[in-house]
Amino acid sequence: MKLMQTQVRREFWEHRALWMIPLSIGAALLLLAAIFKHINVSIDNAPPLDSAPRTTLFQLGLIGWALPFYCAAIIQATSYLLDCLYGERRDRSILFWRSMPVSDTRVVLTKLLVGALLVAALAFAAAAITSLLTSAILAARSHGGGIVINSVQVPVWDTLGWLQMQALMLYGLLGAILWLAPFAAYLLLISAWARRAPLAWAVMLPVLLLLLEHMAFGTYYVARVAGGQLGEFLATAFRLDGQTARSLGGAIAAPGTALGQPRFNLELMDPAHLLASARLWLGLLAAAAMILAAIRLRRYRDEA
Amino acid sequence: MSAIIEARGLSKHYGQFAALDQVSFELQAGRIVGLIGRNGAGKTTALKAILGLTPYQGSVRVLGREPMHERSALMNDVCFIADTAVLPRWLRVNQALEYLAGVHPRFNRQRAAEALASTSIRLDSRVGELSKGMVTQLHLALILAVDARLLVLDEPTLGLDLLYRRQFYDTLLNDYFDKDRTILLTTHQVEEVEHLLTDVLFIDRGHVVLDSAVEDLAQRFAQLTVAPDKIDAARALAPFYQRELFGRTIMLFEGHSVEELRPLGELRTPGIADLFVAKMQAVAS
Repeated sequence: MKLMQTQVRREFWEHRALWMIPLSIGAALLLLAAIFKHINVSIDNAPPLDSAPRTTLFQLGLIGWALPFYCAAIIQATSYLLDCLYGERRDRSILFWRSMPVSDTRVVLTKLLVGALLVAALAFAAAAITSLLTSAILAARSHGGGIVINSVQVPVWDTLGWLQMQALMLYGLLGAILWLAPFAAYLLLISAWARRAPLAWAVMLPVLLLLLEHMAFGTYYVARVAGGQLGEFLATAFRLDGQTARSLGGAIAAPGTALGQPRFNLELMDPAHLLASARLWLGLLAAAAMILAAIRLRRYRDEA
Repeated sequence: MSAIIEARGLSKHYGQFAALDQVSFELQAGRIVGLIGRNGAGKTTALKAILGLTPYQGSVRVLGREPMHERSALMNDVCFIADTAVLPRWLRVNQALEYLAGVHPRFNRQRAAEALASTSIRLDSRVGELSKGMVTQLHLALILAVDARLLVLDEPTLGLDLLYRRQFYDTLLNDYFDKDRTILLTTHQVEEVEHLLTDVLFIDRGHVVLDSAVEDLAQRFAQLTVAPDKIDAARALAPFYQRELFGRTIMLFEGHSVEELRPLGELRTPGIADLFVAKMQAVAS
């Protein structure tokens, strides 16, 4: 346990951005809430919000407030996973790390834990705490105002709505981590394998695959599958209108489609559907294979 | 007492090039062994094989373990500095202490902190802010605070000035080394470690050319400053090395008795550095 803890702390010592970025985003949002009378958010293609339930409006505000954390988390996870096994070879510190009684399996799995799970967990915790503090700030202000979506004022607090939203986000995050695991493992493998420029390799290989496919079959199947991952996930993990989720894709899908729903309640979750998805399990299988390959590379590659 | 390191038919090829070619040797406990060779002789490759850092052919056992497959378990008892300046630049000194205390069951934090206190390294400094010599000092302070059975040092004092080098070898000998520990080290500065080695292992172009305890060298080798009129007689005994110095001829012999050589000139035991130069040139010719 102490070993695990130390290994994780070492990752946060090296990659300070992992905790500094969520902290900065939180501070920036709180500052926004403290300074501005109105914070206007606009959602395109949304039906009129005037008649939307109070709780739904509050929850929409929560999503808007959480989005910066999650967008940053995706970028952070990508850059961390691409760098973590490459960086130690670039500065030759791998010769120091490998002189410690820590197995390569443990090292690689720790990095995966940090890059895939802890980055998301931090984003979630930072978003939750920020939303609480924001509500506190807004409630304490004498001049009213607050968050406004499409010209409609968002309520300052709604306990049930907040709890429901946290549960939905937590479920969504855990699901997304499982769903996107093959991408995380792919980045980790590139990081373990590339002798230089892991980012260029990580981008180039899929682009090459796209070109080959197009030249051979004249199709864009790979591109469509890869591009539709997030929408596909939302449609699988949540009871949303699948077509809408897919066509909108991205994070906007959830608020956009949910406007047609009564509110963001726990019935939106569809874990049985998610767990029954072949895509999920095939993805996890591919992730496991790539992680094993990354471990073998760290273990057997000669750094002479 | 079983060997600390046992290598049998150890080979390593990089493409066509054989960095190590069927090398065999053993290291016993409580010895300080100098692995000596020119650049590219295979020293570092041998160390890497011993430490499980590179795949190889043949068999290697370190403390009874196979290093390539049991590296992490082995590192409980083995410490090494495979290269200087491999501590990551972002690491703070106190983080380094914290890290070793967290992952290494044999690390004595107190001891490392004491060693650091005698230097000008500050605990809140980052490695990137330290001079090259200080980084080496830090690395050594960390490694010497681990209670290991085998310590492997590849050019440990590279980049240190004379004072630090002397200090380091004194610490190694007085505070660290005891009969239960084994030290395997490589260095360019043979003269500096000559007095502390108990064994030497010369390696050249992937082959072991000399494997001997230092105490046996005197019986095996002799350096003769040949009397001018005895040169032909001396040459007849087939020296493996000969050179001229200030008009005098110096020859090195292996396996001749003192009685045989003494009449031919001035006799002494060659130093390790002399022996190394002689052996390397003998192999080359």
